[in-house]
Amino acid sequence: MKKIGFILGIAVIGWGILAFSNNLTTPIYLAIPKGWPKPHYNFKQNPLTEEGFQLGRQLFYDPILSRDNTISCSSCHLQATGFAHVDHDLSHGIEGRIGTRNAPALINLAWNKHFHWDGGVNNLEVQALNPIENPAEMDEKMENVIAKLQQREDYKLLFKKAFGDEKITSQRVLKALTQFTVQLQSSNSKYDQVKRNETTFSHQEANGYALFQRHCAGCHIEPLFSSDSFENNGLPVDATLQDYGRVKITGFEKDALHFKVPTLRNIQFTFPYMHDGRFKTLTEVIKHYNTIQPNQHTAATFSKPMQLSDKDRVDLVVFLQTLTDKAFLFNPRYAYPKK
Amino acid sequence: MSKTLLTVVLWLCCITVQAQSKDSVTVNFKLFFDHKPLQLKQSYVTVNKDTVTISTFKCYVSDIAIQYTDQTVYHEKNSHHLLDSEIPNSMQIRFPQVKEKVISKVIFKIGIDSITNTSGALSGDLDPVKGMYWAWQSGYINLKIEGQSPSCKTRKQQFQFHLGGYLPPYNALRTKVIPVTIANDNTVNIGMDLAVFLAEVNLAITPSVMTPGKTAMELADISAKMFYSE
Repeated sequence: MKKIGFILGIAVIGWGILAFSNNLTTPIYLAIPKGWPKPHYNFKQNPLTEEGFQLGRQLFYDPILSRDNTISCSSCHLQATGFAHVDHDLSHGIEGRIGTRNAPALINLAWNKHFHWDGGVNNLEVQALNPIENPAEMDEKMENVIAKLQQREDYKLLFKKAFGDEKITSQRVLKALTQFTVQLQSSNSKYDQVKRNETTFSHQEANGYALFQRHCAGCHIEPLFSSDSFENNGLPVDATLQDYGRVKITGFEKDALHFKVPTLRNIQFTFPYMHDGRFKTLTEVIKHYNTIQPNQHTAATFSKPMQLSDKDRVDLVVFLQTLTDKAFLFNPRYAYPKK
Repeated sequence: MSKTLLTVVLWLCCITVQAQSKDSVTVNFKLFFDHKPLQLKQSYVTVNKDTVTISTFKCYVSDIAIQYTDQTVYHEKNSHHLLDSEIPNSMQIRFPQVKEKVISKVIFKIGIDSITNTSGALSGDLDPVKGMYWAWQSGYINLKIEGQSPSCKTRKQQFQFHLGGYLPPYNALRTKVIPVTIANDNTVNIGMDLAVFLAEVNLAITPSVMTPGKTAMELADISAKMFYSE
């Protein structure tokens, strides 16, 4: 009888140690700002931990993901410009290869259902496979990424911290990257502060906000400033790129020239604009909408051009600048991980 | 006391071993060309007089259910299996079997359902490194058949059929019901005859399908005809 008690005791202690080792990770949570909708991302299938976040951050900034180890996620997604590719109309990958689209900003991705300008990616967790394997971007194979990471002692340790053991799999790489990107949250712009009654809009900003609500908010829905859907905004197709967007994914004729409605948060810094980066400034963007000639394919909200006066156009830009969130753009948690 | 415990443990072990050896059924998927076992890289002639060699056959079977003569059904949980012609073990799937029951049907889906297709980063047979996942348009390739034929006016005379897609109206998932007539102890053999598939494909006109859509839907219908009770 004593022996059984002893065995039971050992079992209980062993179980305790196991349970404890599983709890060595530090759970963290994404704070949902007041009044925001429920995030689309299912956190239950990838519970956030500090260790997972830090591993994802390390991977995000590491060119090891590309075939020749020269390009990292951050090469096209820079924090100071809202994780967009500043100054490049079309983003470029390894060996100077140029893609067909402008790298989008990575902001509030937890609320996104679709990813990429054409919505071809259906879950944030599998998004990274796309740039890793695209020949114009990182041109690498996921299995090579795994093999390279397995050679690295520092990564073995990071995976052990995040997942309990040193095993490196595509699932773990993708979940860890997601832990980082899903937390890139911007919710502290002047706009947000006004909404929280911490400050007030200037006269010009208030006028710009009213114009925004009248002309833009149909697609750029507050508080995320996107509808997470696809629209034809009247841009003619680029003759050299021949990019018809969403239709390539759905096969539906009606989706030709439909592209994802991007968020306007931090829009001041995410230039150039549109899926092919054809507009360098917000003034050009607003001029486009000011004179748009609607047709049966363009979004219903473009029933007529905005026809704003010069003064109103300036006010609208001034309002859009209130969506700049310095706390996000310079948040040290999102920055290149210092050793 | 310890002796009793030891006996109990040994007895439990015996039961487990017994359960594994007898109370299980193996479903064997076997590749054929015109009813003869398929050899990769060997030349065959189709009914359309195309000379073909097959280099790759990969296929997801999922949501497997075993129906018994008493109308009860066993549903496998998390049922996703990648059959790969290069990996013989992948072609055999084992299930627990109730000894007294007789299997009447094996029911399964060819491909991966839409919920799994949108569930993010998965592992095991669903790991995207298995070469059965589209990165540019998230989703699994349900069935992959690759090979060569002089009938194909393509680079290296290759044909490549990557059939998939989960978004309606182009959901390429197909359900297959295989009646089991042979009362073999614990194996069910399911044949997959590539001659049936290639008989209905015009290699000169359609040497490759790599995207979801209408053609993938038609080929998915044809591919379902390959499966039969062997």
